[in-house]
Amino acid sequence: MPTSGLTSSLTGRRIIALWFPHWAAEISRADYDAAQPFALIDMHKNAQRLVGLNAAAGKAGLYPAMTLPDARALVPDVQTAMAAPQDAAARLKKCAYWLQRYTPWIGADTPPQTADGLTDYGLLLDVSGCAHLFGGERALLEDMAARLAAYRDTRGITMRAAIAGSIGAAWGLARFSPTALSIVPQGQDAEAVLRLPPAALRLKHTHIDLCQRLGLDTVAALARFPRADLTRRFGPEPVLRLEQALGQAGESLNPYLPPPRFLARKNLPQGVTQTEALAQLIAEMCDALAAQLQAAGQGAQRLDLTLTRSDNVMLALAVPLAHPTADAGHMARLFEERLTRLSNGAGGLDTGYGIEQLQLVAARTAAITAPQTDISLSRRLCKSAPIAALGGLYDRLVSRLGAQVVVQPVLHASYIPERAVRFVSVLQTPADGAQDDAMPTPIEATTRPLFMLCAPEPIEVIAEIPEGAPHRFRWRRVLHEVTSAYGPERIGPEWWRRFVGESPIESGGHNSRTRDYYRIEDTQGHRFWIYRDGLYDREIDTPQQAPRWFMHGVFP
Amino acid sequence: MHKATQNQASDATRQHKMQHKLKRLQKLVAQHEPVLQRGAYIGTGFGEIDAYLAAHVEHGGLPSGGVHEIAAASAADMPAALGFAHRLAAQFLQNGDADNVLLYGQTHATVRDGGQPYAPALAAYLAAHDDKSAHGLSARQLVYLDGVTMPDLLWAGEQALTCAAVGCTVLASSEAVPDFTHSRRLSLAARAAERPLLLALGRTGASAATTRWRIAAMPGQGWQVQLEKLRLAYDTPPPVNGWTVYPQRVQVSPKASLEAAQPSNLVPLLRRAV
Repeated sequence: MPTSGLTSSLTGRRIIALWFPHWAAEISRADYDAAQPFALIDMHKNAQRLVGLNAAAGKAGLYPAMTLPDARALVPDVQTAMAAPQDAAARLKKCAYWLQRYTPWIGADTPPQTADGLTDYGLLLDVSGCAHLFGGERALLEDMAARLAAYRDTRGITMRAAIAGSIGAAWGLARFSPTALSIVPQGQDAEAVLRLPPAALRLKHTHIDLCQRLGLDTVAALARFPRADLTRRFGPEPVLRLEQALGQAGESLNPYLPPPRFLARKNLPQGVTQTEALAQLIAEMCDALAAQLQAAGQGAQRLDLTLTRSDNVMLALAVPLAHPTADAGHMARLFEERLTRLSNGAGGLDTGYGIEQLQLVAARTAAITAPQTDISLSRRLCKSAPIAALGGLYDRLVSRLGAQVVVQPVLHASYIPERAVRFVSVLQTPADGAQDDAMPTPIEATTRPLFMLCAPEPIEVIAEIPEGAPHRFRWRRVLHEVTSAYGPERIGPEWWRRFVGESPIESGGHNSRTRDYYRIEDTQGHRFWIYRDGLYDREIDTPQQAPRWFMHGVFP
Repeated sequence: MHKATQNQASDATRQHKMQHKLKRLQKLVAQHEPVLQRGAYIGTGFGEIDAYLAAHVEHGGLPSGGVHEIAAASAADMPAALGFAHRLAAQFLQNGDADNVLLYGQTHATVRDGGQPYAPALAAYLAAHDDKSAHGLSARQLVYLDGVTMPDLLWAGEQALTCAAVGCTVLASSEAVPDFTHSRRLSLAARAAERPLLLALGRTGASAATTRWRIAAMPGQGWQVQLEKLRLAYDTPPPVNGWTVYPQRVQVSPKASLEAAQPSNLVPLLRRAV
C-alpha cells in the first residue's frame, strides 16, 4: 500500500486547486436572472448543444453537451446565450492575476480529455508558506470563497477548492470531494485520494470507461494492482497520474507570467536576412521602447530580444545592463555589438529564410532617479556622470565580450592563495555600500606574486635539498638555476572547512596538504613563487615517493 | 672645377627646394590633423629615468594622452614588462580622480602563459608609491578582461579611452602584435581623450606609440629599462643601454623638478606623430 509521498512531505508544498463548475455561464456578459436556469449554447458535434450552465440549470436537470431541443423540452423557460469560449478563457486569466493577492505562483491546470469534449475551468495555486498570512489554510479558503462569491459585478462565482500536498491530489479533491472546500493535512494526501473515484486522477475518458468496466470504483482499487500490470493494461499515463496524486512523482506548476510592461514589436511583411537591416529595425524598436520607458520614468536593466524566423524558429538575445538606462542609442549600440559578433562568429546569426517578427522587451526595469540625457561618448557629459559612463562602458564590453570575461575581483576569507580572490562579472558586483570592498593590504600582500597562474603547474625539480628550496628545476621545458630563495612560508590546509560543511576537502586531494612556499630568483633575474606540496615526514607517506613541486605565480 | 661648383650650387638649391616642400607638407598635415592635447605630463616614479625626462625631453614627462608600449626583452621577461606597465599605471592613476578605474585586459595566450592578476598583491603594488592612503585600489576599481582575442582587446581599449571613469588602461598581449593602423587609431583616440593607454607586449612591430620601453629582468630584483622610441621632442637621446632600476627599493621621485617644467598647451610641431 503506498504511503504518503516523499516529495510532498519533505518539501511541504501546499497546492490549492480551484474548480469553477459554472464558470462560462457565470462569467458571461448576458443579462439573466441567477435564480432561473441559464445555459450557453454553441455548435458542438453537429448540433446546438449546451456548453455552459448555471447552478439553477443543473438543478433543473440540464447537463452539459445536451442538445438545445432536449433542453427546451425539459425546461421550456431556459434562457440561452451564445457561448464565447475565448472570452471565458481570457476572464479566467484575469481572475488568476486577481488571485495573486494570495500567492504569486498561479497556473492553469491541464484538464484531461473528456467524453463530451467541453472545456473545464480551473486554476492551481501554489500557496506554500503563504497561508499563515491569512490566518491559516481554512481562513484563506473561506476568504477566497467569500471574495469570489462577490467577484466583480457578476453574479458571483461558484467555486470548489481543495488544499493538498500535490497537484494531483488537490485537483481530484476539488472535483470529487463531498465538501466544497476540503483541506488535506500535510502528509495525508494518499488517504484522501484513495477514497476518490478513478476519474479524480485526471485520466482520459477512455481510461475511466475501462476502469468502470473492470469494476474499479475507487483509486484504492486501482492502486492495489502492481504498477507493471497497470502499465501493461492502460499504458504509462494512469500510473504517472496515480503517483503524482499520491505525491510520489514530481510535477511542476507553470505560472502565468505577468505580461511585459515595456514592449516593442515589429511584424514584417517579408523576411529580412541582412544583419544591417536587422540592426536598423532594432534601433527603431529601441527608440519606441525608450520612449515608453522615459514616459514611465523607468530604465531597463535587462533587454530581451526575440527574433522569429519564417520557419517559426525563435532566436533570443538577452542583454544585461549595468545601470538602468532609457537611452535608445545606447541600447541600439549594444544590440549592434551583439549582432556583429554573431555574424562574425563561426556559427553566425542563422536568419534562415528571413526574420519575420521582432520583439523587444524590457524584462527588468528600475526607476531612474536622476534625469538622464545621454550616455554619449562626449567628454563633457562623461565628466558630469562618470558612474553612468562606467555603466555604459561595462554594457558595451559585456555585450561584445560576454559577462564572464568582464570581471572584478571579490575577496574571500581563505588562507589558500588561489581561493582568496574570485572574479565575478561586473554586472553582479554588489551595489555601492553593500560590501566593504576596500582591498586589505596585509603584510603578505607584498609577498604575493602580481600574477598567479590559473592552476598551479607541476615543475620538475632536479637538484633538491631536503627542507629547502630547490637548486635547479625545469618549468615549461626551460631549466632554471636558482640563485636566491626566500622562505618557506607555510600554508596549512583549511581543516575547519570540512566541519562547517563548506566545500569538503577529500583526503588526498589537492588542498589537503601543507604547502611550503618559496620566493626564488634564477640567474637571469626572473622571480617565481613555487611550493612543495606536503611535509616530508608526515604527509608524504612513503620515503621513496618524491614530494611534488608546483609553480604558482610570477613576480614582476 | 667650374662644373663642380655649378653642381654644388644646384645641389644646394635642390636641397633648399626639398626643405621648402617638406615644410609645406608639414603645414598641410598640421591643418588636417585635429588639434589634440596630450593631457598632463607625469614621471615614471624611477629617479634616474625621471631625471632624464625632466632635463632633456619636452614638457619633462610622459604625456597622459598617449599610447605607451612596454615591450618585454624576451618571452620570459613578460612579468617584468607587466610590472613596469603597472608602475606607470599607478603614476597615471595618481594623477586622476581617486575613484578612477584601472582596466586591465589580456589576450587568451597571455592568460595561459602568465596567469591572472592577483588582486590583493596588485592593489598593494599600485599603492607602493602612494603616500596618500594605505589602500591603493579597492576591488571595485579593478576591471579585468579575462582572456579575449586581439581584435577584441584593441576594441576594448578604444572603448575604455572614451570613458571618463577609466583612469588608465593596460592591455597585455604576449604573442599577437597590433599593426600600425590599430596603433595609430589607439594613439589618436588616446590623444583626443587625454587618457593613457599602456600596451604590454611580448613582441613588437611598427607602432605609432608615443614611447616604447623595453624591459628585461635583472638579477637582484631589478629591471633593465631601455627607452627605445620617443615621439616627443628631446635634445639628448636616451642612453642606449638604458637604466637599471630596482622597483622594490624606495625611490625619491624628483617631483620638484617636474613641477618646475610647466606643461604648456601649445604643442610644437616638432616630431609630432603623423
